[in-house]
Amino acid sequence: MKHARFFHCSLLASVCLMAGTAFAAEPEDIIKYRQNVMKSQGAHLAAVGAIINGKVDFKGHLGDHAKALQATTKNIPSLFPKDSDFGETKALDAVWQKNAEFQKLAKDTQQKASALAKAVAANDSKNYGARFKDVADSCKACHKDFRKEEK
Amino acid sequence: MHFVLLAGLLFAAPLAVAAGASPTGSRPPWMAEVRKTQEQSFRLVKQGEYVYRAAGCYGCHTDEKHAGKPLAGGHALATPFGTFYSPNITPDPETGIGRWSEADFIRALREGLSPAGDHYYPSFPYPSYTKLTDEDLRALWAYLRVQPPVKQVNRKHDLKWFARARTFVGSWKGLYFTPGAYKPNAAKSAAWNRGAYLAEAAAHCGECHTPRTAFGGIKTGMHNAGTRDGPDDSVVPNITPDRKTGIGRWRASELAEYLETGLTPDGDSAGDLMAEVIDNGLQYLRKDDLAAIAEYVLSLPPVEHAVRKADKKPAKKEEFE
Repeated sequence: MKHARFFHCSLLASVCLMAGTAFAAEPEDIIKYRQNVMKSQGAHLAAVGAIINGKVDFKGHLGDHAKALQATTKNIPSLFPKDSDFGETKALDAVWQKNAEFQKLAKDTQQKASALAKAVAANDSKNYGARFKDVADSCKACHKDFRKEEK
Repeated sequence: MHFVLLAGLLFAAPLAVAAGASPTGSRPPWMAEVRKTQEQSFRLVKQGEYVYRAAGCYGCHTDEKHAGKPLAGGHALATPFGTFYSPNITPDPETGIGRWSEADFIRALREGLSPAGDHYYPSFPYPSYTKLTDEDLRALWAYLRVQPPVKQVNRKHDLKWFARARTFVGSWKGLYFTPGAYKPNAAKSAAWNRGAYLAEAAAHCGECHTPRTAFGGIKTGMHNAGTRDGPDDSVVPNITPDRKTGIGRWRASELAEYLETGLTPDGDSAGDLMAEVIDNGLQYLRKDDLAAIAEYVLSLPPVEHAVRKADKKPAKKEEFE
């Protein structure tokens, strides 16, 4: 009886472990994924800037870029799980040590990106510049204390 | 003393206006004098605020990370020579610069000397500030005089043994320091000269962006070429117009936008120390001034010098070829 219970417990434990390993991605892959998502956000923001500043004439794409920015900034902190703080990352320890502040800044980025997407959806072209600058400022606010150039 | 005078003048303002609006129109002559002086000092303080933004005083003299009061000092600057702590530059007479005269202030920035005649370490970027004009120095002084005084005792620098003797700073100055205001280059446009003045005298870009020798002097021929030994152990990028390792692919308008918003042409964002420089200073500059800085910086000689990890990769590949 006792043995059976031990057997079941260990079975359950090993299933849990397997499940754990199955879902936990390699930190290296998480870091690469995170960097790609961040780069895509920057690229979409730069594209928005080029269009609203009249450098290029792709007005038809503006909504797509704004929506992509809104979608990918929904939960930035989820890209920074606990074990992704070493290796080739510019993320500072502060991301995890001052996590509440980090979450606040990430939320601000999400809100600013949403506001930009809303302005674009409403064709509110008078406010494009201001909403665009809000997003750029929000990126900078977080990168100021939470990212360092890698050596 | 100056502060009291200015406060007095501000209180006098409504009086002067009321007198001007009186139906008789007869104003005592001294009132016009008062008004003129008041307008002049107001303009000087305004101009000083602009110099203060361009020169980035706030960033180093405020310990923002530990919620320090503006300009009260204590901001740590880690360098290969040890850690410097910026001093209190509020008008507090005991712990700040409240007892300084205008001449003391101008000598500090132009010659790197304290009122007592001691050499300042060049962590205080006087090799750049020396290039500020007398007018801008006086304006900056006028602005600092009207900031709220904060009582905060200066923290001693925490330097490595070889950097402790201040007298050696005198020899350092002999090697690397040329005092004197910026002299315009007659062969260049007014905008270029304005950009050169702002970048070299006020914003002191080269102080962080230029690699230094083992003695802490600026490496000749490497102006703005970037360094891996920047302040606070940071990698400072190459900002010469080299296309491969610098910002040669940036257009002047993109650089001007970056200095205002912190957004690079490929959508990356300024971070770390540069974000601080933009937030507290450069974003307040006029657009024509930012454009002038951009024009000047991109006109300098390109230097191929890879400092960033990402920039180093192609160089390594070439070694094998």
